[in-house]
Amino acid sequence: MPPLLAEIAQLVVNGVMAGTILAVPAIGLTAIYAVLRFPNFALASHATIGAFAGYIANVKLGLPILPSVGLAFLVAGAVGVATDEVVLKQFRPAGFITTAIASIALTIALENIVRFAFGNELRGYALPIERDWRFGSIRVGPQQVQNLAVAAAAMVMLFSFLAFTRTGKAMRAVADNPMLASIKGINADMISRLVNFVGMGLAGLGGMLIGLDTTIDPLTGFRSILSVFAAAVVGGLGSIPGAVVGALTVGVGEELCLLFLSPDYRSAVGFVAILLVLTLRPRGILGQRAY
Amino acid sequence: MLKAMKAVIDEVNASGGVSGRQFELVVEDDETNPEAAVRAARKLIDVTKVPAIMGTWASAVTTAVAPLCWESRTFLTTVSGADSITKLPHQGYLIRTQPNNYLQAAKHAEFIASMGVKRCYIMSIQAPFSQPTQERATEVLKQKGSQMVGGLIYDKDKTTYRSEVDQALKTNPDCIYLNGYAPDVTILLRDLYRADYKGLRFAQSYAVTSKVLESLPVEVTEGVITVQPSADIGSPAYDLAKKRLGIAEPDSYETQATDWASLVVLSIAKAKMATGTAIRDNVRKISQGNGTKVYSAVEGLKLLAQGKEINYEGASGPCDFTDIGDIIDCKFRYNKISGGKPSLLKVA
Repeated sequence: MPPLLAEIAQLVVNGVMAGTILAVPAIGLTAIYAVLRFPNFALASHATIGAFAGYIANVKLGLPILPSVGLAFLVAGAVGVATDEVVLKQFRPAGFITTAIASIALTIALENIVRFAFGNELRGYALPIERDWRFGSIRVGPQQVQNLAVAAAAMVMLFSFLAFTRTGKAMRAVADNPMLASIKGINADMISRLVNFVGMGLAGLGGMLIGLDTTIDPLTGFRSILSVFAAAVVGGLGSIPGAVVGALTVGVGEELCLLFLSPDYRSAVGFVAILLVLTLRPRGILGQRAY
Repeated sequence: MLKAMKAVIDEVNASGGVSGRQFELVVEDDETNPEAAVRAARKLIDVTKVPAIMGTWASAVTTAVAPLCWESRTFLTTVSGADSITKLPHQGYLIRTQPNNYLQAAKHAEFIASMGVKRCYIMSIQAPFSQPTQERATEVLKQKGSQMVGGLIYDKDKTTYRSEVDQALKTNPDCIYLNGYAPDVTILLRDLYRADYKGLRFAQSYAVTSKVLESLPVEVTEGVITVQPSADIGSPAYDLAKKRLGIAEPDSYETQATDWASLVVLSIAKAKMATGTAIRDNVRKISQGNGTKVYSAVEGLKLLAQGKEINYEGASGPCDFTDIGDIIDCKFRYNKISGGKPSLLKVA
């Protein structure tokens, strides 16, 4: 393979890997937006909480990675439902801007609770680090492939849930037209709890996936929330497949920009993508239909 | 640091002080907060009327206190690291015993070249020190017969640096200088291990802390070399500081505080006058030049009383200053990580 082509191929591979992991919390953000109609920035701290729940399961309790990932999902989901019931629900009648700002306050509070409990230091999972596989000149990490598989499995499960189950269909109905859904007798409160559980659970799962590849600290979620938000907006805020497309676009875009930009401009790519998409196609790449 | 200064002052006073007069150490708390520091400095300058303030630590504090000092002709000694501090228009009323970035980058590059490295690559976090460090290290490597084959500045909040690592490895370096902080250097070390990089990895000690070593599998950090400014552990002044303080290994800051107190006392003795301007005009006369080398304030005072010239060599280093108040040279401690623990490679 010519060197330039090999480099592009490697960057695309890296971008797809990064994008897939980004897609998991981005789906959470967009699903919550689809049903509750506000961007829930508390996703950042729930990603951190998930990462720490997985850490306790893996390092303190000695569980293998897969059950730990499951626990990260469950704990972050449960905390998501609780914080929504106790805090954010009270703000929703005041409008989406108030609720979004409350979610920022909430995320800072939760992040500091994690900091109080665990301190500021970096922690790693009990996981051996393996050398990369090499396919010709392309390098792929076994851990990344495993993360990719977990992220893909989570997405397949979510899509099947939305497509084939009664509750999943009810969720889509509320996202599509809340008024009509309530006339049909769908319990909106129940659906909002469910979407919070799934959305924040996915955030927790994403937080742990990020941590598996790196290390975790109380800022794990906060560091990636801007890219997650960019992915959701680029794909079309409220569209679940859009979150996947947006995450892959941002992931691959951030990598490919390295061909002609210095790496310190990498984060800017996500935001240039937001500007471009919102200027050319204000509803995002896939529009705002939930599914 | 306060104990170190007090120990020097007590020793000087016990030996009879200067011209029969005793030194008094007045302590105010800067709370590592610029506002509190300005209030404390105002009190020291206007009420207590001190000739010298020793010990501002945070760069933000020093930057706030320094103008009060030079305007009131009060001498200031500091450990703050920001390069900008000695570039303030302080008219000589400020010295810094901590190496600035420029000196650190040069020393790091000298060490890297001394390890037989021919092709070095530098990966820096996006920070004010990145560009100057890269430029200075490149310059010194070239002088020492080595070469900086490339460098990049990366974004700090990324979860992976695989593509950055690919860029670095394309240049086929035998050493990579990881010029960042703990969260990002941790990721870089992992990504370099995954990429099967076999060359030297070099980083600041503050980026490879004991917590970082705990969080990474031992094979990932094996062989990493870390660097930090060090006290001059081979110097007689360091032995004297150990005895004076009653501790086995005074750290870089305790030795710097030892040197401030000694330099201020000796400058006052040389000038026969206790004012900030007198200290400013005499500090280089007692700390550098061809005078007899002395390793403590008491020893220096004796020679000064006999009318001899002296050159104070400190516990933190030789204490020779440039025109803008930076130290010209100091020692660095190099550790090699093995089995997840740092062990001393050398102090040079």
